[in-house]
Parts: sequence; C-alpha cells; structure tokens
Amino acid sequence: MSLAIETRKLVKSYKSRSGPISVVSNLDLQVEPGEIFGFLGPNGAGKTTTIKILLGIIYQTTGDAYVLGKEAGDIEIHKQVSYLPEKPYYYEHMTGFEIMQFYASLFGIRDADKCKKLLDRVNLGNDMNRPISQYSKGMQQRVGLAQSLLNDPQLLFLDEPTGGLDPIAHIEIRDLILQFRDEGKTVFISSHELSDVERICDRVAIINKGEIVSQGRLEELLIGGRIEITANNCPDTLVAQLRGEDTMVSINHGRIIVDMPDSHSADAMVKKISASGGEIVSVIPRRKRLEDLFLEAVGEDNRAKGRQIGSMTEKEEGDLS
Amino acid sequence: MSVILSIAKTTLGEAIRRKVLLVILLIGVLFLAIAPALEALSPRQELTVLRALTLGIIQLTSAVIAVVLTVYMIPNEIERRTIYTILSKPVRRWQFLIGKYLGAVSALGLMMALMTGIMLLVFVVLRKIEGPAELMMIAKVPFAFFIQMSLLAAVSVFFSTFASPIVNFFLSGGVYLVGTLFDSFFKVLSENSTLNPLVKFMATVIHVIVPNFQSFNVQNSAINPGQQIQAEGLMYLGLSGYAVTYIAILLILGIIVFEYREV
Repeated sequence: MSLAIETRKLVKSYKSRSGPISVVSNLDLQVEPGEIFGFLGPNGAGKTTTIKILLGIIYQTTGDAYVLGKEAGDIEIHKQVSYLPEKPYYYEHMTGFEIMQFYASLFGIRDADKCKKLLDRVNLGNDMNRPISQYSKGMQQRVGLAQSLLNDPQLLFLDEPTGGLDPIAHIEIRDLILQFRDEGKTVFISSHELSDVERICDRVAIINKGEIVSQGRLEELLIGGRIEITANNCPDTLVAQLRGEDTMVSINHGRIIVDMPDSHSADAMVKKISASGGEIVSVIPRRKRLEDLFLEAVGEDNRAKGRQIGSMTEKEEGDLS
Repeated sequence: MSVILSIAKTTLGEAIRRKVLLVILLIGVLFLAIAPALEALSPRQELTVLRALTLGIIQLTSAVIAVVLTVYMIPNEIERRTIYTILSKPVRRWQFLIGKYLGAVSALGLMMALMTGIMLLVFVVLRKIEGPAELMMIAKVPFAFFIQMSLLAAVSVFFSTFASPIVNFFLSGGVYLVGTLFDSFFKVLSENSTLNPLVKFMATVIHVIVPNFQSFNVQNSAINPGQQIQAEGLMYLGLSGYAVTYIAILLILGIIVFEYREV
C-alpha cells in the first residue's frame, strides 16, 4: 500500500532583494495510511506552506510531493482529500446548512440528507438554519469539520483544528479526530497544541525553519524523562552554577526550580543546592512530554543555526543597534 | 458547469449583501428619484435633460459598482482563506475565476435592473413617456450599459488576478476613462502620419488594446426624440459580439495569470 503522503527533498523558496528565501528546505516526509500524523513547528516554520504544496494551492520550487500515490495538486486527488484551514472563514450570509450544500455542490453531491447528517454528527443539527455570522468560533470550526467530511475523504489536512477554542469545543474536536482514525482515515494535523497532538497522534514531525528536526513514532521519541527539583532559600548566584546543557533553571524569591533530563545526575544537582544553603523541597521524576521534545529539537536546531529561543544573537543585536 | 454555477450563485449572494455596494446603489437610486426636480436648473429642453441625467446616473453608478464589486473579489477570497477550502476541492482555478465573474455580472445585472426599473417608473409616473414603444427605446440603453459594465468587470477581474484592490481600482478606472473619453483621440493619433513614430506606435497600441467603451454609449437616440439608430438589431448584435470577444480574451488572460499565481 502506498504512503498517504510522501515528500522527497521538497523545497519552496521565494525571491527577495537579498536573494532567495527558503520557507521549506529538503523536506522528507512519510505519512502512513490510517494514522494521525502531527506536524509541529513554531510560527513561520513552514507548516502551512507544506500543506498548501501538498494540496496544489502553491507549487514547490524543487523536489517531489505525492499524496495518495499521485503527484500533489492532481485534481483527482482532491476528490479523496479534505482541508480545514487555520481560522477558516465561511460566507457569513449563509446558514450552516447552505454552507454544506455549497461545498457538496463542488463535489457534484446533491444530497441534503448527507449534509444534515454530517451537521448532526458535529452537533450542529439544531443550529444548521442559523447564519454562520451567529456561530461561535467552535461552531464554525465544527462546520469546517463537517464540510471536510462531505466527500468521505481518505486523507484530512487539519491546520490548527483546535486553535483558539474553549476547553469544551477543544475536547469535542479532538474526539472527532479520533473517530476519523477509527474509520480508517489518515489525518494530517498541523498544530501548536502540543498536549492535543501528544494525546491523539501516532507519529509526529517537528519542523523548524523549513527543515525537519525530528520525526518518528511518539512512543519512540518520548523515551527518557526529566527530573524537576524544587528548593527554597537559594541564593540568586546559584542559578548560573546550575544552568547547563538542556537544564532549565528559574528562581523566584529564593525558590528555585530546576528542570533537567533524567540522564543527568540528580544527586550531584541536589548536593550543589544543599552546599549553597538551599533546602530541597522535592525531587520529582516525570515522563518526557512532547513539549520537552519540541523545545529540545527546536532549541538544538536554533542553537546550531546561531539563534536562541527568546533571545537574539550578537549579530542580530548588532543589527538593531 | 455545476461547480461554476455554485460559485457564481454564492458570489451573487454575497455581492448583493455587501454594504458598500448597497450604499452606492442607494445613492444612485436617490439621484434617480430626485432627478425630475433637478431639471429646472437647466435651460435645455426638459425631457432631453431628464433623460440624459437619469441615464448618466445609471451609467456612472453602474461603473462604480462594477469596479468596486470586482476589485476585492479575488484578494478577499485569499485574505479570508475561503479560496483554500474551495481550491482543495475538485475545483479548477479557471472554474473558480469564471464562477466569480459570472456571479459578479449577475449581481451587477440585478442592481442595474433595479435602477432601470426605478428610472422607468419615474418616467411613467411623471408622464414623461408616450407609450410602450418609447419605454422600450429608453430601456434598451441600460441594456447597452450592462454589456459595457460586463466588459468593465472583466477588465477588473483580469487585473484582480495580480494587482492589489487599490491598484486595480485605478487601473480599471483608467482603462474605462480612456476607453470612454479618449478612444477617438487615440484613434486620430494612430492615423496621423506626421506624428513621431514612437508616439504613433503608443497611440496605436492603446487604441487597439483598450476596449472601446464609447461605442456602448447609445443614449443619443433615447435622449433626443426624433433620432433613430439605423439597423438597431445589428448594432446591438455587433456590440454584444465585440464585448463577448473582449471578455473572453480578458478572462483567458486572467486564467493564465491566476493558474500560476501563488495564493
């Protein structure tokens, strides 16, 4: 069986006065059929650009992109895929039901019952005759999901499907996505909501500055954990001593919190804190989270490329001054 | 075909609800309604002035509506991301563009029909028309304007495939002005053998490329009683053929540009 999505050395660059700018660089992706695949990355990493290339909305500069075994952009593929963009907008003068009918007509589907059933499925059965302008964000997102199911797609592209939703709408959307997998659909999610991705995705790829920095099955990527040490009455000078490779330290009124990988020695850290007069409150081992993996992968990549999260390099500071 | 019609229908539904268009339409309708009161300001013959004024109002309002309706059409779809949900369906870009154009022209037609209806109603109520034959003669003029505005909308849709709304507004407005007011001027320049070759060449290019909007201004026969158009049916057929050819060329060019455009 062919891959649901495959890209080989995919490059997308734009011309600028200072030379070409690469938004996607040598991207190699493989998404298996029937899995929920998380596509993660900071803002501007190239996630939406990649999705647009896969849908044929924009064109790659070089490299290959295949969707369901055919070249990306092939109009025949569009009959088997769906796309829910980030913050979708629907024609506000239309009702939920009219929106469904409109999108159905683009597939040549004239089945009012199907539209109603799908709206029922996303709990909008009672609101389908209200104009979209009266819908909440969550309701609009649910209409988006309903329209994305009109063609019973094999592959769904969801761009930030839970972004900006309240917790209840969040859970509803998450549950719907899990149902899609149960129905054998492949779901490609681009998201910042790492906790959601961790809960529902089978595999993830982390992209930074257009390049994949980590890719694999979640259970394999999340091997290894972290340790959190909390201590009181610590001097401010201790922070600099404790900070190190992949170790985050914060201090507030003498209360210090150290977050470090479990591969580092907790004993040595505890001794350092005690020697400085600090009183250990707790030492808590915890499972590695996707957030940790994300920060590690993006942080390492940024360091390798001379840029730190939340701070500027000397060059950038110089440029500003 | 159903895809194009669906997009056209949705575009029409959205266009007739756009507040800015409704405001322009309302202003046009208000002017049409008060036009009979303005005729006293002019020393010219009452009937001539009233007809020229009302037809002028319809033409000007329609031109503004045609441009405002179309300059935002494609950029808005991109900005609001609706284009992504549509183009990710089995919809080809040319179907999208043609659907948008047809929707815009339908909305334009509806608005022009409303204005024409009001104008005719004013004439009938004020007894400014003698019989159905004269009514028909006047009603034909907005029809010619409609063909003219459909051509203007095609110009604007073509520009909207690559230009921002503001730039498009001035480009389309400029093409309309040149095609309406200066077509004869450029024609004379292009035929003047004593002129600098470069200027002559430029004038010829402008004369050939810019549609001759002036030829759709057929209001003289309706404004001045007694004037008649020879072979009227043939003339309207010719005008329609001219417009359809230009519209087809503009839309094909627009499709080519839009096909390669990154949205």
